[in-house]
Amino acid sequence: MKRKLVSALLVSTMAVTAFVGCGSAAEETTSDSAQTEATDDGASDTASSEDAVANLIAATDGTVNIDLWCSETEAYQKVMKELCDKFEAEYPDVDFNITLGAVSEADMKDRVLEDVEAAADVFVFPDDQLEALVKAGALNEVAAQYTYDMNETDTPATVDAGKYDGKQYGYPFTASNGYFLYYDKNQLSDEDVASWEALTAKAEELGKEVGCEVANGWYLYGWFQGAGCELTENEDQSNNCDWNSETGLAAAESLQSIASSKAFKSYGNDDLLANLNDGKVVAYVSGTWNVNAFSDAYGDGYAATKLPTFKVNGEDKQVASYSGYKFIGVNAYAENTGWSMLLAEYLSNAQSQEAVYEATGEGPSNTEALSKASSPALDALAAQSEFAQLQRVGGNYWSPAESLGKNILDGKVSQSVLDDAVAGITQPVED
Amino acid sequence: MNKIKNYFSSFAQAIAKGDIWVKLSLIIMGAGYFGRKQIARGILMTLLEVGVLTSIFKVFMPYLSKLNTLGTVQREEVFDILTMKKTVNDYDNSLLILLYGIIAILVIIAFIALYIGNIKAVYRVQKMKEEGEHINTFMDDITSFKNERFHITLLTLPSIGVLLINIIPILFMVCIAFTNYDENHQPPTYLFTWVGIKNFVNLFTTSQTITFGYAFVRVLIWTLIWAVVATATTFLGGILLAQFINHEDTRFKGMWRTLFVITIGIPQFVTLLLISKMLGDNGIVNTFCSNIGITDFFKTIGLLNPGDAFIPFLSKPGWVHATIILVNIWIGIPYQMLVATGILMNIPSDQIESAKIDGANKFQIFWKITMPYVMFITGPSLIQSVIGNINNFNVIYLLTSNYKTANMAMANSHANEADLLITWLFRLTNEYSNFKMASVIGIVTFVICAGLSLLTFSRMIGGDKEGVYR
Repeated sequence: MKRKLVSALLVSTMAVTAFVGCGSAAEETTSDSAQTEATDDGASDTASSEDAVANLIAATDGTVNIDLWCSETEAYQKVMKELCDKFEAEYPDVDFNITLGAVSEADMKDRVLEDVEAAADVFVFPDDQLEALVKAGALNEVAAQYTYDMNETDTPATVDAGKYDGKQYGYPFTASNGYFLYYDKNQLSDEDVASWEALTAKAEELGKEVGCEVANGWYLYGWFQGAGCELTENEDQSNNCDWNSETGLAAAESLQSIASSKAFKSYGNDDLLANLNDGKVVAYVSGTWNVNAFSDAYGDGYAATKLPTFKVNGEDKQVASYSGYKFIGVNAYAENTGWSMLLAEYLSNAQSQEAVYEATGEGPSNTEALSKASSPALDALAAQSEFAQLQRVGGNYWSPAESLGKNILDGKVSQSVLDDAVAGITQPVED
Repeated sequence: MNKIKNYFSSFAQAIAKGDIWVKLSLIIMGAGYFGRKQIARGILMTLLEVGVLTSIFKVFMPYLSKLNTLGTVQREEVFDILTMKKTVNDYDNSLLILLYGIIAILVIIAFIALYIGNIKAVYRVQKMKEEGEHINTFMDDITSFKNERFHITLLTLPSIGVLLINIIPILFMVCIAFTNYDENHQPPTYLFTWVGIKNFVNLFTTSQTITFGYAFVRVLIWTLIWAVVATATTFLGGILLAQFINHEDTRFKGMWRTLFVITIGIPQFVTLLLISKMLGDNGIVNTFCSNIGITDFFKTIGLLNPGDAFIPFLSKPGWVHATIILVNIWIGIPYQMLVATGILMNIPSDQIESAKIDGANKFQIFWKITMPYVMFITGPSLIQSVIGNINNFNVIYLLTSNYKTANMAMANSHANEADLLITWLFRLTNEYSNFKMASVIGIVTFVICAGLSLLTFSRMIGGDKEGVYR
């Protein structure tokens, strides 16, 4: 296997070198042809944007090849195909060849970074991958916009989430990638879903299951953050974390006692769906990606709300969450940067976001499209949004957090476990 | 040592005693052949010299000259808002510099060897001419590749292949272990550079934050235990199974054999992923066990804590190790059975007959004749399979992809208790882009495997044991 790996690595690098080695000199060095009107500003100025697009059309000859990677689900593939067709129709003078690829969004970063130069020109990725993609230099900066201005059309939180170091890298696409609580209102009342203590007690009474994937840093964060602890990222991508403080210990112990309930489960997505279909799960922390599964399973009892509270040192604390967004990114090594940017813009404009919402149920980030969208899941997200933070955390967080979650589930919380976890999360990043 | 001395002294002698043509060959490599009217050979040699030198100076030099730093110019791009075109500077790609640098060094070494060899050859031709011997024409040379130099014709392609797919990748990987190629230094956009033996120091260091040393020792121990146990169990199981099926009282031999071979027929990916689902904490096996009371039984005998809701087949250390080995037995035995069947059929019957006449019982025959014979035949392949198991990626990775460690020190270096060196390496590269540490682990794995093979092979095949069973 090692041999295979190395040779795969090597074969890929060699393949790349074969092409790049000869091709780098020919790479779009300069285009002095259209540089007649040299003005400094002009991004927001419509006249000059039109000029720019006109310049681009004039400078384009031959087929424009664009690869687009997005989620493998049928709904996604279908709606993106339609949108691409419409995009092609917008520019009848240009001959496009847009190829759609199916890559799971969770793997997008890995697939793109396997070989940046061979990856798709335009791809859809969740906001938690932004940092890794920027760090690897895979994302093209959104230096200007030509058909709309995201600062005016999209929610500020989404636009900010697409920034890194003050530069915009992602085109806002959806704003519903966070998590909240799904529940069956035929079995649980509003009071039951208000706190984890009440929820687990009721579920035990019913002999059913409720839960949250605690052994996963993405969900675990909300509990500690809600209790008042801190987790932030430094400039060098190391983390600050005070989960081993007194509050942190109290939060961990409280979570441990909730998780020790027979009714509390920490399912991964597959297990969750299986047990949901068996009718065992009556409430679970999840997101819009499972909206169909939950609405099918609960039928007319289908409901969603913000996350419940939990007791820390006798006080009710609201469990926080990571807000989640999806972005469209343009590859820094895209063959046709200009056209790729225009396609990304088109796919993220108001009409496209509306179409994506209708096809997939994911909430738009465009305010106009958002006003037309309404569903229990999106309302729950909106209710949770005031307790949701943007995910900015260094890569050393995930493994220790996962392990900490596992310790909590195993009932092994102690000061030293928290100390070790914090040591791992905050370990220095070498340069 | 003497060989090296001879090698260079004969070179010096060739230069000193050579005539004008030989001396001219120092500059134009074909000159010596032109002087003896071997025109085609001379042209070929000169062309080769020109080709190699141009490629070194034109293609490799830019990379080779940066090999000491692995590049200094980082990629910078400027996007022109008006034309929507991007301008990219002439940036260095550390990965390419490293790769081409290695190739360049190999090319240069090969060229120097060729150069020295050429001078000697030209001098040899000069002496042949002086002594009036027959000097090969170009046609003679070509025919010689079909006759006395046929081995060269035959081995050229394979040796180029070995160089390309074995030596260069290994050199490349070894070099990466001495760089800081990780998620913060990813080419083509960012540069990485040499850091000396820092990564090796890290692998054997343990502090609260750098836990590679801690994780490495544990992963290594489990890797070795796994390799030995997995090999031994499947090997013994396979022989016993083959023995049972081959037994004279067994009926429907073909059917049994087919049944077991079917497990080979289904791709491992499918079976392993299914098994890992079935044995999951909330999988079908756990549901079944708790329904029929096995879970409660385990609690009463103390294998599980009273609070446990499920049997942690694939989620707790100890349990996961046992489960992996059991699953591997199920997957591995059919292969060994096939191998063993072949061997058992070929045991010289005279030995067994004579043992029977001497009054040995079946167990004695199995233990004293069959086993030693099988061991002798399969010894080398057993070592091979131990090494194969050290690198047995599929079973471990597919079964434990959902395993989460509760050991903080392991987690801090992205390892877990069920990891082999190879799966740890894979996760470091694939999920954390930590190529430098992965390379270090790769080298250590290689050293262990190579050491193990050398040691055992020399013990097993060395001496005069080969003749024992003849």
